[in-house]
Amino acid sequence: MKDKNLEKKILKGVYRLETKRTTTYLLIRVFFGLLFLLSTFVFASVTIDILNEQNSFDLLDFFRDDFEVIKKYLFENLIDFFQEIPQPLFYVSVISILLVLATVFILVKNFKKIKNKLVAIYKFQSSKDKTK
Amino acid sequence: MKLTDKEIILKIKNGEIDYYSFIVGEYTNSIYRYIKTKIKKHEDVEDLVQNVFTSFYRAIERFDEEKPIKPYLYQIVKNELKMFYRSRKPVLPLKEEIYISDDNNLEIEDKESYLKLLSNQEKEIFIYIDEGYNYEEISRKINKPLNTVKSIIRRARVKLRIKNQE
Repeated sequence: MKDKNLEKKILKGVYRLETKRTTTYLLIRVFFGLLFLLSTFVFASVTIDILNEQNSFDLLDFFRDDFEVIKKYLFENLIDFFQEIPQPLFYVSVISILLVLATVFILVKNFKKIKNKLVAIYKFQSSKDKTK
Repeated sequence: MKLTDKEIILKIKNGEIDYYSFIVGEYTNSIYRYIKTKIKKHEDVEDLVQNVFTSFYRAIERFDEEKPIKPYLYQIVKNELKMFYRSRKPVLPLKEEIYISDDNNLEIEDKESYLKLLSNQEKEIFIYIDEGYNYEEISRKINKPLNTVKSIIRRARVKLRIKNQE
């Protein structure tokens, strides 16, 4: 009986540790995911506003023309368009998007593991509540 | 069907932490008995067993499932025991005044006899302590590293304590 009590104490400690760990992990991932998403939105919208003010999107109007025209001006116009993009903002936006994708990728990759942990923690907590 | 340790570890690594109860169930008794042979107090033994399993759980992501669990657990037990003994080690008080202050009712002659035990350098350091300098200031004053000053003080205290116990 004494051993069972000790085992219970050990498992309680382990579950307490794991609950703290998983919660911290999720909170940090969600926080940074949202932060990167927000920064992507802010930087991308500023970049688009600047491009709008410069009428840079007019450079892409040739896409409405015939295929021959598109073929002829595609490379040249794209280079011009790219040169008109505010470079630092553009790079920050790209980095932010990459960070969002990385965060989502890590979450998706570990999804099964986190789900299993959450299920186990829930089961343990509910069994503890029942025994009370 | 009974799962092997390797399968259990793989499941735990996959997030199915409820399988940890199998490891706890299998090894708690033997670890408890082993620690009990070293430490008599039941509460301390229980605390150590808990620490062992918590430490193992923390390390489980890094644990190679191809290796057996038992030796790894006993290595943790060994480390925990070391830490336990270290925490129980008697600590010498830091305040030198315990030995040479007016509060401990020593007569001046007694103080003299105590001071005779000390080398000139130890005396010099204790005078600085008496004047209220901290260890860092003393190390700068006598131009010696801080750790050397601490060692000198510690050795001097041991001498004084032995004398005090006589």
